[in-house]
Amino acid sequence: MECNVTSESGFDLIKLSGEVDLQFSPQLREKILGCLKAGHPLLIDLAKVSYIDSSGIASLVEGFQTAKTSKLQYGLLNISSTAMQVLTLTRLDKIFDLYSSTDQFKQKLQ
Amino acid sequence: MSSLAKNIENLGAFCLNALEQTGRTFNMLLQVIWELLHPPYRFYPIVRQMYFIGARSLTLIIVSGITIGMVLGLQFYNILQRFGSVELLGAGVALGVIRELGPVMTALMVVGRAGSSITAELGIMRITEQVDALECMAISPDKFLIAPKVIAGLLSVPLLTMVFDFVALFGGYFVGVKMFGVAEGSYWNGMIDAVEWQDVRLGLEKSIVFGVLVTLICCSRGFYMHLTKAGSQGAEGVSSATTDAVVLSSIAVLFSDFLIGALA
Amino acid sequence: MSGNTTTDKAITIRNLVVDYGPRRILNGINLEIPNGQIMVIMGQSGAGKSTLLRCILGLKKPTSGSIHMLGTDIATASRTDIYKARKQIGVAFQGGALFSSMTVAENIQLALHEHTNLDEKTIQIMTRIKLDMVNMLEAENLMPSELSGGMAKRAALARAIIMDPKLLFFDEPSSGLDPSTAAELDQLILTLKKGMGMTIVVVTHELDSIFKIADHIAVMKDGNLIETGTPQQIIASTNPEIQGMLNRKPRETIVDTDAHLRRLTGGF
Repeated sequence: MECNVTSESGFDLIKLSGEVDLQFSPQLREKILGCLKAGHPLLIDLAKVSYIDSSGIASLVEGFQTAKTSKLQYGLLNISSTAMQVLTLTRLDKIFDLYSSTDQFKQKLQ
Repeated sequence: MSSLAKNIENLGAFCLNALEQTGRTFNMLLQVIWELLHPPYRFYPIVRQMYFIGARSLTLIIVSGITIGMVLGLQFYNILQRFGSVELLGAGVALGVIRELGPVMTALMVVGRAGSSITAELGIMRITEQVDALECMAISPDKFLIAPKVIAGLLSVPLLTMVFDFVALFGGYFVGVKMFGVAEGSYWNGMIDAVEWQDVRLGLEKSIVFGVLVTLICCSRGFYMHLTKAGSQGAEGVSSATTDAVVLSSIAVLFSDFLIGALA
Repeated sequence: MSGNTTTDKAITIRNLVVDYGPRRILNGINLEIPNGQIMVIMGQSGAGKSTLLRCILGLKKPTSGSIHMLGTDIATASRTDIYKARKQIGVAFQGGALFSSMTVAENIQLALHEHTNLDEKTIQIMTRIKLDMVNMLEAENLMPSELSGGMAKRAALARAIIMDPKLLFFDEPSSGLDPSTAAELDQLILTLKKGMGMTIVVVTHELDSIFKIADHIAVMKDGNLIETGTPQQIIASTNPEIQGMLNRKPRETIVDTDAHLRRLTGGF
């Protein structure tokens, strides 16, 4: 798994790629919670995720709840089809805010 | 003639079975030692088992300790009075309790209270496939189920024995000093003079051996239930395995008590 | 994550023989279970299904033969290697086999606590995701003794999939359940295959669910594998034994009433 955090104008962007599994999801969780703790809105790019297991999904869910509590925008960007399949299976495709471009997220921020 | 042959056959089967059971129990001990040499260690399960084996047997131990102390006080007083040496009462009670009755009675109490339920618990886990489920989750049942119980037995039985000894001495004191008027000073001083470090050590060694022996036998009867005749009998099998475990571990306690006493 | 198996078979069994004393329980089984599909092992009780399952899981050592599961030969592997392979599988036992001293949630989390160092919060969310998948979110804090048969089976399924295994085994998913609960479980099995790409091995004798879920069927009788194939192939099979299993014959009507009366009374 690769997990790059970049600071965009007004929000943080986490680019995920590869396989998010039991071994790597603690790292993902730390990064997500780190960004939110710093008070930045967060967009997570899942375009290049080839596999995500339920520990990865759980980290995303925890991030979402944390963002809601601290009233920060939190979205998922370009979800890959494999990741989407897992989200659908776990009935979580409806609860996240999904975006297809960073601009869309920026608009939401305003 | 044929009945003789039948008897010999039965005896042979009995011996083979006994040998097999002993082998399994010993194998279990080796497994526990192996698990002890391999981290990670979890202390909470041991504490839980100590609560179960130790703390919940405490009332029983205290009540039986006082009773045994009183009985000893009564009997020794009657005997010693005939020889006019009631000042030896404290020594007699203390040596009897610390060397012999404390460890043995405590171990037997633990067999009845905790040992039987250990066998029943593991037997039920075996027949309802809970042990298989653990295996399939790649969790070693030896580490997860057996080791905490054996270690808890190793630690709890000596501690319970100390409690038993302590209250039994007071039971003897109550009968000897308060009821029959033996001088208080001679009771305690006679005790302190007579009891040597090696007596205490013998009692302690016994209780450690008993603790391991009792938990091991009870664990192995329940855990390996599927390998015995009881295994195919479901709930009835659990109850017969439990009875077996209680009988066997009681005998093991008494026999090893003799062995340790003879070797010491 | 994507496999150390180079073949497209999750499990390959060759010449598996199991003797129990003088009795032969499994008589040279050859079976391949393809990746990402549902294989149903069917047969009447006593056919050797459970023994086969126990061998695959490494719970029983076969007399001879090999069982390659996810790259490990379970028949000869060391305990350590078997444990390594088992971390990639999930097993739901017939009666649930939930640990009776733990709540449903603790049961489900156990493997995560033992094998991973995930944060407690993550573990909790994962548990609830799986509980939601089997529609048991409200039973989180119940003890196994408070569950009905169907709930216990669903909880066992949630426990089996907590580590997102590649390979799931399900022993008698629908036995002892009412038809609607059984159908719900069948649906869940299909969803797991489709959504997570799991290979699923189901052992059962319930004909109703077999043809709903199976991609492949292996039919066992008296320790032998008498037929393997797709559901269509099995239905079309000309093997009389299989036809016998598929068409449960109704009992013959009583023709000779006198004889029947005598059978009941012993004839006095």
